[in-house]
Amino acid sequence: MSLHFYGIRHHGPGSARSLSLALARNVPDCVLVEGPPDAAAVLPLLGDAQMDFPVALLLYVPDDPKRATYFPFAAYSPETVAIRFALERGIPVRFMDLPMAHVLARRESKPVSVENPPSEPVPEATVPSPRADPLGWLAQAAGYEDSERWWEDLVEHRRDESGIFEAVGEAMTALRAEMDSQSPLESEKALEEEQREAWMRGAVRAAQKEGFGNIAVVCGAWHVPALQGGLSKSDSPKEDAATLKNLPRTKVAATWVPWTNNRLSFASGYGAGIESPGWYEHLWRCRADNPEEIAPRWMARVAGLLRAQDLDASPAHLIEAVRLAQTLAALRGRAIAGLEELTEATRSVLGFGDDAVLNLIERDLVVGEKMGAVPDASPTIPLQNDLAGEQKRLRFPPESAQKVFDFDLRKPNDLDRSRLLHRLQILDIPWGALERNRSGKGTFHELWRVQWAPELAIPVIQAGIWGNTVAAAATAKASDRAAKSSELPALSALLDATLLADLPRAIELVMRRVENVAATSTDAAHLMDALPPLARIHRYGDVRGTKIEAVAPILEGIGARLWINLPLACAAQNDDAAREFLPRFQAVASALSLWQNEGATAGWQGALKNIAARDSMPGLLAGRATRILLDAEALGADEVATTLSFALSSAIDPTRAASWIEGFLGQSGLLLLHDERLWRAIDNWVCGLSPEAFTPILPLLRRTWSQFAPAERREMGEMVRRPREAAPLRSAGAAPDFDVERAQSVLPVLAQLLGIEMSDSRAAQGVI
Amino acid sequence: MTPTQTPNAALRQHAEIQFADELERLQKHDDRQKPPQWKLSPWAVATYILGGTLPDGSEISAKYIGSRRIIEIAVATLATDRALLLLGVPGTAKSWVSEHLSAAISGDSTMLVQGTAGTSEESVRYGWNYALLLSKGPSREALVASPLMRAMAQGQIARVEELTRIPADVQDSLITILSEKTLPIPELGDEVQAVKGFNVIATANNRDKGVNELSSALKRRFNTVILPTPATIEEEIAIVQKRVGELGRALEIPAEAPAVEEIRRLVTVFRELRDGKTLDGKTKLKSPSGTLSVAEAISVTASGLSLAAHFGDGTLRVGDLASGLLGAVIKDPVQDAAVWREYLETVAKERDGWKDLYRACRDQE
Repeated sequence: MSLHFYGIRHHGPGSARSLSLALARNVPDCVLVEGPPDAAAVLPLLGDAQMDFPVALLLYVPDDPKRATYFPFAAYSPETVAIRFALERGIPVRFMDLPMAHVLARRESKPVSVENPPSEPVPEATVPSPRADPLGWLAQAAGYEDSERWWEDLVEHRRDESGIFEAVGEAMTALRAEMDSQSPLESEKALEEEQREAWMRGAVRAAQKEGFGNIAVVCGAWHVPALQGGLSKSDSPKEDAATLKNLPRTKVAATWVPWTNNRLSFASGYGAGIESPGWYEHLWRCRADNPEEIAPRWMARVAGLLRAQDLDASPAHLIEAVRLAQTLAALRGRAIAGLEELTEATRSVLGFGDDAVLNLIERDLVVGEKMGAVPDASPTIPLQNDLAGEQKRLRFPPESAQKVFDFDLRKPNDLDRSRLLHRLQILDIPWGALERNRSGKGTFHELWRVQWAPELAIPVIQAGIWGNTVAAAATAKASDRAAKSSELPALSALLDATLLADLPRAIELVMRRVENVAATSTDAAHLMDALPPLARIHRYGDVRGTKIEAVAPILEGIGARLWINLPLACAAQNDDAAREFLPRFQAVASALSLWQNEGATAGWQGALKNIAARDSMPGLLAGRATRILLDAEALGADEVATTLSFALSSAIDPTRAASWIEGFLGQSGLLLLHDERLWRAIDNWVCGLSPEAFTPILPLLRRTWSQFAPAERREMGEMVRRPREAAPLRSAGAAPDFDVERAQSVLPVLAQLLGIEMSDSRAAQGVI
Repeated sequence: MTPTQTPNAALRQHAEIQFADELERLQKHDDRQKPPQWKLSPWAVATYILGGTLPDGSEISAKYIGSRRIIEIAVATLATDRALLLLGVPGTAKSWVSEHLSAAISGDSTMLVQGTAGTSEESVRYGWNYALLLSKGPSREALVASPLMRAMAQGQIARVEELTRIPADVQDSLITILSEKTLPIPELGDEVQAVKGFNVIATANNRDKGVNELSSALKRRFNTVILPTPATIEEEIAIVQKRVGELGRALEIPAEAPAVEEIRRLVTVFRELRDGKTLDGKTKLKSPSGTLSVAEAISVTASGLSLAAHFGDGTLRVGDLASGLLGAVIKDPVQDAAVWREYLETVAKERDGWKDLYRACRDQE
């Protein structure tokens, strides 16, 4: 009877290759793989032709999907290789680790972890202990800064496969002996490790009892000594049984979910993650064909990527880059050029010393954006269950017929439904579409067109990589999008979406991104777009439970930048671009009334005064700035009349004057009806225009006037018909001309209607 | 101005003379493979530049303080037959590194072409001794070789300083030398072929690309290494302090050496604006159009010192720095002024102990 231990490195293409060669040389009749036995039912799906890596094995507690663990598998994971090897040949293959039924039963309900294997420790910010990163310490001992590189040089770049697994086993035996004596684990972790290894030994013994003659055990290198040593001792079965007594248990379900290269990488916080999934995939694919081609093929892919971005990358460049990489490797005493050398050569030869190109390569090649796919036969995932649960709770069943819902957001059930639909939109699950612009309804109404389609099951499964509940998944996805986006408008839109979807954690993160991006944004339009949603949060944040202290400084920062940049930006606009600015002016003005910050209001009005006072500004914006100042009572009626007549002076180009009026009046002429002086100024200006000047600006004026209400236009018409001299001079604030006594007689009734107490003296004066 | 006294020794020695002892010791311990004509192996060259300890326990001083891999790439490039282009903002030790590399590799750092707007083709290729040319006609004796041509013939490293200041048509004459490794002399029907060991180190300022940007044909013949600005604030403060001290002595400014705290604030402003974020990494900032290099920090401090000495009380005060600071930051009167005001209002105003700096800078406007 023979037993072979293969100590591997998770997601190491080199150890995967060594493993497949070793298995082919010595074909086992049973394969045991480190992994949760609870997933036995879905294990055969790994051999399915529809399985497209990377994927992850998901184990979760059906009643509480927050308790869950992901085990990512890449095409080049040694586990994948071993399992597929066995499945193809019909050799029995089993997971042998401690069942997640026990592990998850112990774990409190907390955010999902990604593990492989469960004990593979998450690296801490400080220097990890040798146990957390055993290979890292061996690498340090060998004089390498980085354990990836050490393993690559020592094992994965080796051409000769024999003896690797024995050597790894020996090194680990030495390391573990040292570790156990020098820094014993804290009891809880030690117990878990002890239990896991005891279970694995039990699984090996069980396989031996069943009569398999040649068993291959595939597990993380760290565990090899414990398994080998434990199995050779005669009293260990009893000890193991004692270790595994009275373990808690819970119900666990297993399925496969698609995974992404990005989430395989260290950067995503995955403990056993690797820095360069894309590079490993490249290594894995090249190894199979021709190892000599690793560097040239990589550089060819780099060149393809650069050319797609319209950057120069000639074959001559590639030759030089490969040569430099090889010389660098030689200088550093390495067998062949690795990713490090290739990256440096790329920077020097193709990037002209600049990192910009490298970022592109890092994202698209070194990590890669690839997303896996799982066979149709995979069981449903927790997100699907959670969505079904939500639909049931809100009495909101998925129906294939299209329906229109009018939600009243003051009702809790409707509010929750709206939030659910908003969250699904963030997850790109278009179950409902929001109908915009229904006038006549208050802000507490939302109109949704809702229709479920069977194809929506696919986005739901894809969204499963983000989390196990709709809320968690939407938070994760929104945070990810925030991290990747560097456009202020996109971030503001995302901020709005997260607000509507009520995702407090995502809101915080998106806000921080908005702050950072706003700091470098020179585009005043973007700053103006970012301000209103933030002002809304500042004002209404309490209702939604967002921390408003976090908003105030961001808002102030954006404000300060905007006041400084706005006049510059406005001066640079032509008339068409200026027209796009108008709604922004309005939005910022109303945002400021929400914000109610004196400093900000002063800054804003300062910027507006600057705009209003400068002749070089587009008339539209100067007019609007004057109007906003007038409305905010920052300019008196007299000053405005002066500004207006100045803007309409004969020295000013009539076209600019016309657009000034358009900006000033906006969509209502009511102001003109109330302030005779403004009316006179415009009247005089129009009358004073020469015929040549009048004709071209007529359409401009007509466009302004056509937006006024018919009643306003009629009244203006009557004012024009009146003889100019005869008309009394009216202006805002002039004494009203009416019979005070008669007016007073209605006051008591009015007061009663309004529910106001009225003192006699005030009543006598006609003051309410 | 005429010098009042003639120096009896060179003001500044060449690197290979100044560090002859270190080079000799390195050579003695160097048992690694050397590329043809190299005085040291690539490994020993890297050690010479970055400093280290030899097997006999003696020290090699560091010539360049910074990233090891930058030097490794530079040395590896020279070991292939590609030319090396060192880019960087002023004051990042480009010429310094280039001089020491050629001193360590060829034992000679004098094969130098200084690039200026007036650099002619003769100084890159060859010129003529006209008296000889007229009397005897074209011949090898009448030819005046450029440093580049001499380096080719002797298999040594040639240096071209400020490559981007050289007019584009003169730059182009480098292309044949770099790709064919020959220099044709059509007048004589002859050519000079580069001997093994020949290579070129060029330096250029990557902020004034606009002067004479490299053609892509020429660019393609170089491996580019960008020398970064100092990695840490402590390093930068040390550099500024050292250089200002030297300058102060050279210019005989009768002022106290500036306090480290003033330099630290100045360097902080420079670094924050240059990197586009505050030192604690919490706030992003806009960067002005200027380079804000270490060299400028040095000149701002030196001019502040001079102000303090001649118009102040002899101690460097924040007001003396403010005017120079303003001039260093604001190169574009519109955009940079907005950036600078933004910085003052959002960063400097709030910072503890920066009130005086904020006020002094606002007063300058």
